[in-house]
Amino acid sequence: MLVASELSKKFSGKPALSGVSFHVKRGEIYGLLGHNGAGKSTSLGVILGMVMPDSGDVTIDGISVLRDRSRALRKVGAIFESPAFYDYLSGWDNLKILMSYSGGFDATAARSVVERVGLSRRIHSKVRTYSHGMRQRLALAQALLPEPEVLLLDEPTDGLDPEGIKWFREFILKLRDERGMTVLFNSHLLAEVELMCDRVAILREGKRVFEGSIGSIQDDTRFFEVDFEPWGIACGLVHSAGGEARAVGRISLPATVDPAGLVETLVHAGVRIRGFSPMRRSLEDLYMEILNGAGSPN
Amino acid sequence: MGYGAFILMEAVILFVYKLDRSQQFMHAMLERNGLDFGTYYSSLSITFTIMLLSMFLLGSIYFALVAGDIVAKENEDGNLRMVFARPISRLRLLLVKYAAVSFYTFTFVFFVGISGYAMAVAAVGWEGGLFVMEPKMKVFAAYSDWWEGAGRLAMSAGGIGVSMITLSSIAFMFSCFKIKPAAATIITLTILFVDMILQGFPFFKPYESWFITWRMSAWVFIMEQQISWPKIIESYAFLFGLNITLFTLGWISFQSRDFKT
Repeated sequence: MLVASELSKKFSGKPALSGVSFHVKRGEIYGLLGHNGAGKSTSLGVILGMVMPDSGDVTIDGISVLRDRSRALRKVGAIFESPAFYDYLSGWDNLKILMSYSGGFDATAARSVVERVGLSRRIHSKVRTYSHGMRQRLALAQALLPEPEVLLLDEPTDGLDPEGIKWFREFILKLRDERGMTVLFNSHLLAEVELMCDRVAILREGKRVFEGSIGSIQDDTRFFEVDFEPWGIACGLVHSAGGEARAVGRISLPATVDPAGLVETLVHAGVRIRGFSPMRRSLEDLYMEILNGAGSPN
Repeated sequence: MGYGAFILMEAVILFVYKLDRSQQFMHAMLERNGLDFGTYYSSLSITFTIMLLSMFLLGSIYFALVAGDIVAKENEDGNLRMVFARPISRLRLLLVKYAAVSFYTFTFVFFVGISGYAMAVAAVGWEGGLFVMEPKMKVFAAYSDWWEGAGRLAMSAGGIGVSMITLSSIAFMFSCFKIKPAAATIITLTILFVDMILQGFPFFKPYESWFITWRMSAWVFIMEQQISWPKIIESYAFLFGLNITLFTLGWISFQSRDFKT
């Protein structure tokens, strides 16, 4: 549905993107992660035709954004971090203006979308009276007008309270499940990405260093939270068994190693075992490994 | 607020017109030229003065402000990226904004004319002719018939409107650059005032037709007894070509820019 091919971009000689490619399949929620300045917003800017890449292209449903921007974006809705509206106008008037740029205002469709995002009671109030959460809902409303097939979300839950974040997440998941919406989602909130996304890509310094499904984070390596004493002797025995001490209190074992066997070895060696419980490897674990250089580019 | 400022300015001009010294001056000038004070000290003549002065003093600032903000301010405030999320080409976006600025400029002149006339009628009544004296463009005319005077005034309002679109076009072009909104306005006004000042130098007299403000003043020729249409068309063709060039330069800059969040 959305294909970014070998995107490269420099700003004042500094590379923002270096040969970044990714492919978002129809009907999936795809997360784009990375540190500040990794190239996430630049990627989104290129997809929307707001930033001209030095090389590479983006196609949306086969239409090139570089060559035919208005046609490519006909199926796209976008939400930005801190969306800006005309504060002196009402939410309704803002929607009218934005929709009028691209072919007319459909009041019926607008009313329906406003109701879905839960802004019906305040849609005719001035935007300057809106809370941050209401602004995000208005941004979502404009992104859903007219009916897009692809949603681009740039830090959409930034600044929202927990209830707002939960509402937003459930709304997007519903769009995907009921309407087959394709979503590209930039965020710093790893927990949200893990809950929402089917696949993720991680950018580091303008390069894609990881791409995979959320499920693949749980590879064949199992992680355990442990409390061994003495730690030094225990580490040596874990290494001998084929495992790895990741940090104090945390070890990993390949699928071929039986944890029960390791425990027996530790006990026979005189190691006191105060705690031994399996852990689920999280997206945060993977992300931190990659940012610290442990992950390999692919 | 802008409309209110113009109404206030019109009221000030009207007040000055009604002062005894102003009336004495007008009286002497009209009589020197063999014209009747009662006929030509009228709402039409006052409206002409209001339009001339307010467009020169305040109109240029307002149009430069609005046109200078139309792209640059929206970019600064973040509204432009919301618009960019819509399926609209950059050219179409600019054309829509340019059309809006041009329409605003043109219709604002008529607002000033109509409101100025309404205030003048309230002050001196609706009857009377139209007296025009513009020494710089060498135009001197008097129309005793109200209908003819009103017709000439309406046509000249249209001419002023078209002329001021050039000022807006200059500001619009700068607004498309990577520039602060205030900078676009200030540069435009600087160009306008420098052009006006240089045009006044005797040294530049043979080249006056190359000055933007001289061309923008072509609407005054509509007031002549015998309208010289070739002269007027020549000036507006010059301004039209200039407007197209300014828009194109703005578009080239806008097309090649990156708009990063």
